[in-house]
Amino acid sequence: MIHDFTYLKPGSLKEALAMYAEHDDCKVICGGQSLLIVMRQGMISPEYVLDIKHIKELDYIKFDPKDGLRIGATTTHREIEKSDVIKKNYPVLVEMERKLASVQVRNWGTIGGNLAHADSAGDPAPVLIALDAEITVGNKDGQRTMPLEDFFVDYFETVLQKGEIVLEVHVPAPAARSAAAYQKFNLLESDMGIVASAASVTLDENGACKDVRIVLGNAGPTPRRVKRAEELLKGKTYDEALFAEAGKIASEDCEPVSDIHASEEHRRHVLGVLTKRMLKKAWEQARG
Amino acid sequence: MEKKVVVLNVNGIDYELYINPKTLLVEAIRDYIGLTGTKRGCDTVSCGACTVLINGMSIKSCSVLAVQAEGYKITTIEGLEKNGKLAPIQEAFLDQGAYQCGFCAPGMIMSSQALLNENPNPTEWEIREGIEGNICRCTGYNSIVRAVQAVASGKYTEVKS
Amino acid sequence: MNKYTVINPHEPFRVINTHVRNIDGIAKVTGRAVYTFDVKLPGMLYGKILRSPHPHAKILKIDYSKALEIPGVMGVVTGKEDTLGVKQGIWRRYKDLCDEQILPVDKVRYIGEPVVAVAAITEEIAEKALDYIDVEYEVLPAVFEPMDAIKKDAPEIHEGFERNINVTRHIEWGDVEEAFEEADYIREDWFKCGGQAHMCMETRCAVSSYTPDGKLTIYHSNQSPYYMQALMAGVLGMREGDIRIISTYVGGGFGGKFELDGAIFCSAVLSIKLKRPVKIVYTREEDFIATKRRTPMYYYTRTGVKKDGTFCAREAKVFTNGGAYTGMGATALYLTGFFHSFPYKWKAYRYDGYRVYTNTLPSTSMRGFGAPQAMWCSEQQIEWIAADLGLDPIEMRRKNAHEEGTIIPGQATIASCGIQQCFDEIKKWIDSKGQLPPNRAIGISACGFMSGGIFNWFDTPYSFSSAVVTVNQDGTVELNVGAQEIGQGSNTTLAIICAETLGVKVEDVKVHSGDTDFNPADLGAWGSRQTLMAGNAVKMAAEDAKRQILEFAYAQSGLNIVYDLDIKDRWVHAIARPERGEDFVKVVRRAIRGKDGQRIVGRGYYTPHRKGMISPAYSYMLQAVEIEVDEETGKIRLCDSLTAHDCGQPINHLGLIGQLEGAFSMAAGYGYLEYMPFEDGKLMNPNLVDYKVIRATEMPPANIAEVDTYEPEGPYGAKEAGEGLTNPTAAAIGNALFRLFGIQIKECPIRAEMILKALKEKREKEQQGK
Repeated sequence: MIHDFTYLKPGSLKEALAMYAEHDDCKVICGGQSLLIVMRQGMISPEYVLDIKHIKELDYIKFDPKDGLRIGATTTHREIEKSDVIKKNYPVLVEMERKLASVQVRNWGTIGGNLAHADSAGDPAPVLIALDAEITVGNKDGQRTMPLEDFFVDYFETVLQKGEIVLEVHVPAPAARSAAAYQKFNLLESDMGIVASAASVTLDENGACKDVRIVLGNAGPTPRRVKRAEELLKGKTYDEALFAEAGKIASEDCEPVSDIHASEEHRRHVLGVLTKRMLKKAWEQARG
Repeated sequence: MEKKVVVLNVNGIDYELYINPKTLLVEAIRDYIGLTGTKRGCDTVSCGACTVLINGMSIKSCSVLAVQAEGYKITTIEGLEKNGKLAPIQEAFLDQGAYQCGFCAPGMIMSSQALLNENPNPTEWEIREGIEGNICRCTGYNSIVRAVQAVASGKYTEVKS
Repeated sequence: MNKYTVINPHEPFRVINTHVRNIDGIAKVTGRAVYTFDVKLPGMLYGKILRSPHPHAKILKIDYSKALEIPGVMGVVTGKEDTLGVKQGIWRRYKDLCDEQILPVDKVRYIGEPVVAVAAITEEIAEKALDYIDVEYEVLPAVFEPMDAIKKDAPEIHEGFERNINVTRHIEWGDVEEAFEEADYIREDWFKCGGQAHMCMETRCAVSSYTPDGKLTIYHSNQSPYYMQALMAGVLGMREGDIRIISTYVGGGFGGKFELDGAIFCSAVLSIKLKRPVKIVYTREEDFIATKRRTPMYYYTRTGVKKDGTFCAREAKVFTNGGAYTGMGATALYLTGFFHSFPYKWKAYRYDGYRVYTNTLPSTSMRGFGAPQAMWCSEQQIEWIAADLGLDPIEMRRKNAHEEGTIIPGQATIASCGIQQCFDEIKKWIDSKGQLPPNRAIGISACGFMSGGIFNWFDTPYSFSSAVVTVNQDGTVELNVGAQEIGQGSNTTLAIICAETLGVKVEDVKVHSGDTDFNPADLGAWGSRQTLMAGNAVKMAAEDAKRQILEFAYAQSGLNIVYDLDIKDRWVHAIARPERGEDFVKVVRRAIRGKDGQRIVGRGYYTPHRKGMISPAYSYMLQAVEIEVDEETGKIRLCDSLTAHDCGQPINHLGLIGQLEGAFSMAAGYGYLEYMPFEDGKLMNPNLVDYKVIRATEMPPANIAEVDTYEPEGPYGAKEAGEGLTNPTAAAIGNALFRLFGIQIKECPIRAEMILKALKEKREKEQQGK
């Protein structure tokens, strides 16, 4: 049963930030697809709930070939999934969104809400980090922008301070000869990943690896880069043995838990398999 | 906590409710407005029994506060009939036996309708993805897929809602 | 997407096996169907149940005084003050197995057991009140696994049950030792079978309304209103006739809704105390932790065969995790042993089953009733034996399969059996598939199932099924049955039988069910009994009504005695001269006038006699499932399937397809998705995020080849459909894995990790071999 709360409905972003600063013990609701579950379970019972779902200022998808992609925090998963400009320039985001929960959840749930909830099994974060995304957060006094990978602190915990909300996600323009891939391991298509792996690969003119980012999902408290494997790959040319080696490193450089769905050992193993596969897939796509 | 006056437009009718803001949309529809066709089957936004349309797209009404649904056009299973005639998707469910105990049927039908609203000619896989947010414990889903396919094929000619 | 083929179809009927929409379909697809979940009565209160947090504990003290002070809280009931230790159980003939106190007085035996129930003016207040009830427990040592619970020093869960053995069952025929002597090859294996949640979409719920005239009306989501009426009368000390159970629409049952649940007895006890209607709806979590589940089993099976694949003997020993109470678990214990022999002829067979109490959620009947576990072990072991002997697994099965006239000594005689044609169909299908991709394989599994049980542990004095057919003056027909519609389509099936028999159309028949005040007693929807048993009762009642109508028609027709009359499509006519006849309604009107204005009433009933120990008839099936496995992650995907199935004469065409496809989806879940892990007696996934129910994206095509046979004991030759198909799938998936990798998985549900572990062990063995 949800505990009683006072409902705050600001008319604008400015008003929202002012209200948020003013109220202690206040939780922001946007799509509420995760928040209402934890509230129903009584895990959190804020005195105030601040609704930003209807704030149109944060509902946008903008793309510029130089600047890249900017997605407002209240943009729904479905808007991202159906965006032609994202499909054209960041197909991995569309693929990821299509498998994020169910249509109903994607219709109402938002990207900002998803990231702020900081579930380590969340789908968007590993992909966005692999795409080198930044996140902008703000309060009534101003804004700050940081790499998305620095945004997550722990299970269900982010750097967001009191009065601060997620405003925007920025993804750099896709580099030439680059591609990214994401896959989760789950039992039902629409489930969150028991584990997941995202990889982005940028090749130089000779087909060698110029840049690579490998990010694991549900492999620890926060989405997790596998820098040791990235270093291994940089400057190298296509080599499946190398992908397998990178996968092996991924299975080592993580801290997944054991639970009823999979043991730690199995999670590590599958993280390795997925990482190997995603590297191969991204590389082949980058090669064109 | 302060109660709120909320106007919900359900099946074309404005209902003025005076409710606790924590009231979920499904509770407003079932307990306050009294339309019990919409069901609830879980507490974790998993089963889809509470699916309704909001401006024509499907959402799970257990995952939305009623106050957040103000200003939208909400359609429940009761709103699919037009002038006493069933919607094509309802006829197709009948012909395919796409329900058994019927408890998931209202939500399943709303998900199917939302899919057809967006994509009148879905592939089999698109249909499966379109209803993956709804659990049916009875049918094994294939009859539901056939029902959506039958509507998409134009077998039922009535105007789509 | 799906293919439906009929092998040897029978003569077409007018109504039977035609495309008939479900008669309660309109209500269900428009949201008009009112389930117990939707019932709201004037002055209704809402109840909530405080549950045991301990798997095993003594109740020392309950203090609810603070809860009563909360505004809106109307009353509380406890075992000590209100229900006084009254016990319930569905095996009414055996008092020691009625072991579940409806609210415990002295101790609790599993996490989730009801302890205190409270009623308030809103559900929210009732839930809040639970936080203000203090229960003092003395925690006792607990035991969770049957193999631990049978140990000498294990904690005693119920007094007087040595080594916590709740029930034992023994089945034996032939000289087992001698038959093993004849075998050229003997194989023995241990298996483990998991539990499974019924996971009905409508959680357990009830609305009880007691009135000062001493009458109690209960809306309740269940599979057998008559059982509920009789069991509630028992626990409340009331007469059955003073209790009315209404269960018009039921959101699924699957074997989990024909015993009393906390919703019904707590709401009734609260309503009796407070004299107001009380509604209790289980949350999804309560529905997982505080109902019952499919019975987990440890299975030992030893099988002896000749070199040519002829089966000689089998002996099996089973220890089931009974959980805290008996429920229907004792029947599952018997049936698993019986169906472990199916569908094969054994010269000698011996089964010993032990149901063991543990401090976990009780286990009980669930669709398949012990047979999915039996087949998981049997059909895999048979596949392995065929491989061990280098024999074709289909041909080896075929050679030993039941046939018409097979006698299972002391148990049953098989009157109809189409399994040979099932083998043909499956073989054709597998051949048609040709070479499969390297990560795919097809596994098969055979089984059979019953068409209703003959046992009467419930101790009913009534016929097992009864029906009343009333013909009105306008030709409309009222069919009153005690059989229960839970989504399987029984109302439609029975309407079809009634319409076919009486010679009218389905739309002329209105079915009244799910209300004990107006319908005859019937054991209800379980054990696949209604098509055969209630179907026979309906057929008899319709024939009775028809005879009365035809008596008038004969009297008026002046026909020569050698001519017969019949009714088809609302037309009363001479069979030899169908064009010479009269409108059904006209004849009915005169017939009613002839009865001095009384409507035509036909009565029918059925109780099996001289049909052996188990069931009047058996269905047969063979299933092939194609799977794809990711060898690196262990993930299974189901790709395709064919089920060849003999259910006698199909009655309800749409209903049959729905039942077969639906059973397959549930069976697939049991095979590889629906695990129920416990830690210290606590279910770790009591929600639909962590408990995995198959969804549309996981469901493969479910092709069906319907082999029509004629079952002499069934109405129009019909027998069971829809439950038996829960049995083969887990084993078929296991057998596909064996085909693909040569690995033998002995525990279900099959998990990705088990596959990887087996593959690893196999590789290591191969390495050592080199």
